[in-house]
Parts: sequence; C-alpha cells; structure tokens
Amino acid sequence: MRRTNRTKLMAAAMSLTLLAVGGSAAQELAGVKLTMWVAQASATLAKQPAEAFEAATGAHVDLVVVPDPYESNIPTKLATGEKPDLAFYQPTVSALPVIQPANNLLPLDGEPWVQKIGTTEQGLGIINGVRYAAIVKSPSISGVYYNKAVFAKAGITAMPQNYDELVALAKSIKAAEPDVAPFYEAGGDKWPVQWHLHALLSGLDQAFWQDVNANEASWTDPRFVAAVAKYKADIIDGGLAQANYQTGTFEEQASSLIDGTAAMIFQVDALTPLLLSKLSVAELNDKIGWLPVSATAPQSQFVADQTNGVVAFKTGDAAREAASKKFIDFWLGDDYAKFIQTNNYPSIEPAVPSPAGLPDITVAQSASLSSATGMWYLYVLTAPDIHLYLNDLLFGAKTPEEVADAMQRQFVQIAKAQGAAGF
Amino acid sequence: MSSAETANTYSLAQRSLTTRKLHGSSHPWWFAAPAIAVMAAFFVVPNALNFVYPFTDWSSFKNTINFVGFSNFADVLADGTVLKALRATLIYAALVAVFQNVFGLALALLFERDTALNRFCRAMFFLPVLISALAVGYIFQALLATGGALNGTLSAITGQQISIAWLGNTSWTIIVVTLIHTWKWVGLTMIIYIAGLKSVSVDVVEAASIDGANRWQTFWRVRFPMIAPAVTFNVATAMIGAMNSFDIVLATTKGGPADSTQVLNVYMFKIFGQGLFAQATVTSLSLFIVVVLIAIPLIAYLRRRENIL
Repeated sequence: MRRTNRTKLMAAAMSLTLLAVGGSAAQELAGVKLTMWVAQASATLAKQPAEAFEAATGAHVDLVVVPDPYESNIPTKLATGEKPDLAFYQPTVSALPVIQPANNLLPLDGEPWVQKIGTTEQGLGIINGVRYAAIVKSPSISGVYYNKAVFAKAGITAMPQNYDELVALAKSIKAAEPDVAPFYEAGGDKWPVQWHLHALLSGLDQAFWQDVNANEASWTDPRFVAAVAKYKADIIDGGLAQANYQTGTFEEQASSLIDGTAAMIFQVDALTPLLLSKLSVAELNDKIGWLPVSATAPQSQFVADQTNGVVAFKTGDAAREAASKKFIDFWLGDDYAKFIQTNNYPSIEPAVPSPAGLPDITVAQSASLSSATGMWYLYVLTAPDIHLYLNDLLFGAKTPEEVADAMQRQFVQIAKAQGAAGF
Repeated sequence: MSSAETANTYSLAQRSLTTRKLHGSSHPWWFAAPAIAVMAAFFVVPNALNFVYPFTDWSSFKNTINFVGFSNFADVLADGTVLKALRATLIYAALVAVFQNVFGLALALLFERDTALNRFCRAMFFLPVLISALAVGYIFQALLATGGALNGTLSAITGQQISIAWLGNTSWTIIVVTLIHTWKWVGLTMIIYIAGLKSVSVDVVEAASIDGANRWQTFWRVRFPMIAPAVTFNVATAMIGAMNSFDIVLATTKGGPADSTQVLNVYMFKIFGQGLFAQATVTSLSLFIVVVLIAIPLIAYLRRRENIL
C-alpha cells in the first residue's frame, strides 16, 4: 500500500516535470487543489494571481478569508491542527516565529523570484538565515498625509526637516486656523496611534533591538520612555490632536483630512486606498500631499504587514507543496505586471515598471523607501502590543514609564515562551 | 381472568420488579454510553486538562510541552492585568445579575396577564434572546459610536451637536456593556419569572387580600417569597452567564477603553492569540475557580430561601 502510494507520487511528480518541460502548461496542475488563507484586508489582493494561475495551470486555488484579528487567529487555527497550503503572513522577525517556520513552512531560498525583487524586500521574511516568506508587495510606509489647502491657508511652504519642525508646523496651523485640528488621532481603532512613536524612535537602530532581543537592553530604555512622553506632551497634552482623539477612527481620519477639519494624519500607506474610495486619483493629487519625517531627517519609516508576505506550508503532500511554490513563482514572475496593474501597486521588481497613473502620494512613498528606517517589528523577537498601551496612555490609564514597563513585561513573557537565549 | 392467571401475572410482575431492583434500573447502563462518551470527550477531558496545562510551558512557539511548576501563576500574578480582568469580570457579573433580575421581574409583572397585547410584548422582549450575541454587540457598537445613531438622535432632539463617547469612558462604559448584555438576555429572565408568578396559587393571593394586604404587601410578602425557585435559577444563571461573557464585550469594546471592560475571557482570548497557550489556561483555570467559589455559596443561599415552600 505504502509502496503503491509512493509509486503513484513519483509518477505524478515525473509527469509534472515532463509536462513542465513539454510546455503543455494549460492543464499541468489539473486536479491539484490549493488552499490559501487571506485576511479581510488582503481578501481581494490574491484574487487576480489565483485566477490567472488557475487558468494557466488547471490548479484550483481556494481563497479562505480568516476573520480579524488575523495575526492571532492564524496561530490559533494552526494549534488546532488546521493547515493551509499558503497564507498571507507578516514577513517579520517578530511575527514569523509564532507559526514555527522551521516546522511548518517551506524554505523558499533559491526560488527564481528571489533575485527579481528589490534589495529592501529581499531582506524581509528571513528567520535564522532561512527565507520563509515571499514579498509580493511594497512594505508599508509611514509618513504624514496633509491637506494642501489647509497648508496653503496657514502659509506653509517649507516641509519639516525633522519631528520638532513638524510639531512647530502643527502649532502654526493651530494658531492660523483654530477650527482645524493639526492632527487627527484614531484612538478608537487603537492601532493607528503608534506611527508618531516610530518616527520619534527612528534613531534606535537595528543594533539596539538586537540588544533587546538578547535581554541586554530593555524597552524601558530612557530613549523609548522619552519618545512616548514627547508624543503625549506635544500632540495630546499640547492640544495638537482633535478633541475626540480617544475615540476617533481610521475611517474618520480619511474624511476629516479630505474635508479639511484635520490638517495632517500620521499614517501608513493603508490610508491611500481609503482616500481613493472617496476621491479620484486626480482629486487626490490635487487635494492631499504626503511628507516623510523622522526624529532627525525628512525620512519615512517602513514595516511589513500580512499583506506584504506570502508563506507556503509544509503539508506532507509533495504535489501540493510543489504547486504552492509554483504559484508564488508565477505570482512574482509571469503574472507580476498584471498583479500590480490590477491592484494599482508600485512595483517591487526593478525590471517591472510601476503601472501608469499611480497617485503622486504612492510614487513619493515608493521613492522614500530607499532611505527609510525600519520599524522595530522588523527586528525584535516579538512585538508587544504598543497600540493597546498607547490607548491606555490616551485615556490617562498609563504613564509613559508604565507603557515602557508593560512593553518590557510582555516582551519577556513571550521571549521566555519562545525559549530565547538570555531570558 | 381466572385466579390461576391472576396469580401468574402477579408473580411475573413480582419477578420483573425483583430483576429491576437487582440491576438498579429499568435500562442497561450502557444505553447512556454514547452520551457519556460525548460528555467525556467534549467536557470532562478538556476540563481535566485545564488543571494540567497551567503547569506547563505549552505555547505556539514549540512542539514540546514541559512541566514548569507554578511559574506561569507567578508570572500572571506579577503582571497585574489578570487581577484587573478578574475585577472587571466580578463587576460585570454583579451588574448583570442585578439589572437582569430587576428588569426581568419588572417586565414579568408588567406582562403577567394573558392579554393579546401582553403576549405580543413578551414575544418582542424575548426576541433578542434568539439573536446571536456577536450580532447584538455589533449592532450596539454602531448605535453607540460617537458618530452613531444614538448621538445623532440626541443631537436632532436637542438641536446641539452631541458626541458622547458611550463606549469610550473608562468608568461608565462597563455599565453600558452590562446593559447591552441585559437587553440580550432579559427576555429569558422575564419568561421564567412569569412562569414562577403563574405557579403561585390564586387561593393564597386571595387569602392575603381578604386579610387586608394591599397590592405591594401581597407582592412583597406573599408572591415574591413564593417565586424563590425562579429567583434562584435567574440569579444563578445570570451571574454565571455574565462571568463567562465574551462575545458582547468583544464586539462592543474589545475590552477597552484602557482595559476597563476586559473580562477574563477577553483577556484569555488575547493572550491565546499571542501564542501563550499555557498562560491562557492559567486564566481559564482562575475563571473556573472563581465561578465555583461564587456560584456554590450563592446557590446554597438561594436554595435555603426556598425552604419556606
């Protein structure tokens, strides 16, 4: 019985190879059924490549939406024994260990697409020197979206060269236009509150986070506490955020920026699709601008989230595992130009030009990537829930010191569970 | 029927009675086996494991599970979050027990008589019991959002811009969420109180009124003590149900603002999602112990009230 299965498998593999070589691609993977987990935010993203792959190979790709919070539902589903062939997953050092890449994921080193993607992107998705995630889209870039008319009315012509200048600029808007909130903070949705902090911490480099990973440095570092305190003192207590900063939402960030009741939004580029659901590209170019800023320079910050990375799982089924790799190769190879065209993404492959007609903001963000600094998500063993602790800060339930303490306590707890050295 | 036949039938009946006595029941015990198997697989074993996993290092980060003694308990206690969650759970349960029973009894008294209007109203108040708790949570989240329907209506009535953060206040939001929980379950409490009130003998109530008791005295001195079993059931189920609350809190506030509505189940869900499975089972075990510690004395006390019947 075992031998028959193995023979069948070998026959299948051989016929696969023969077909691939023979070039009769149309039904090469007929009968192979792949399951891919996608999040609500990435549900439509994989649709085009999946359909094109089905047409090209005869394989069937089933896209299964896993509800939010996606990042915590995935390990929970895996723990109960469910396993897809592919999934969107945050390709970072902090997120990948949760799904035990060495046990669960197919190594993707030496795949044909690796050399095609940009160097920043090539650096993502690697754990202990092994590549486990394919980067399909540009990392998320954080910076300041601003309303051009509000800036013009306040007489602003020079863009800020560092965070202090950004605060000064916000104060000048408040003075010139008292009805306009310089920043709109979305405390109600929690996650959008953290981007100021990442800009303020751009000085903490990879070496610092590696010390944190080795338990030789801590989140309670005075520089971390100072950054949280500065955000609270300047933006929140300084009255530079709108009145309902505790309950504001991501959705309202877009509408208040468009109608000019808010001058600026510190956000990752996830805001662009939301703006585009309310404005045409021409209107967006006309009304909204974007500027990069860090603690000390006009630089943006970048991070990878689940929409950026695709992982392939070890399922024990050789035919499906081969098809999964083939799907990724197809996605980043033959299909890549169509994929970015359909989704209006800038290209991450130097050889493939970005689609025409991208918003100015997207082009500017894409251009800022080469000098951008990486957020801690890319470097730490595990990323504590900063958005929850900042939410406590907004409600006055935690001081900046307590935010740092909570970060460190959660970090140690998970590092211990991971069995990290030094904890 | 001849006397011989009668004797025969009698002896047969006698024998089957003896057999029954011998075996202790009228059915073989293994008839219950499927039910016991299901109960064991889905209730007994998981609950038993709940006493094992808290002492291990079970997590999503490795495949092996090793015993680590009480270190998870030490970690969880050192981090004050679980104690805060416990406090939130107890406040939540107490508020729900009070609201659900006060409103449930009031509605029962209001709709006690069997008129067509009352039947319709009972059905209306029972309807939320049938809706999914998550759906209820999301509906109220939309209604109570700062830019939601409630503030919109208040603004229209008062003619001023009203933007109350119903779900964004660290002191009051827990009351709002318990009221939503009550809205969802009060129909059930009401039906049980109506059934209880209807079981009180008319004679007793009549006797009370002949003795000169007014309506309030009749209710408080006669009828209320007689519905003690309904009170026991309603208070106990409301309290235990509220301590296990999860979906309504998750859909309305996700445990916020600033953890003020983070009950134990929501906290457990959060740390399970971080891959800290053992720490999550510590919370689960704590919840189990708290429910037992509160439920047993509470039910014992309420049962004692029933002794007058």
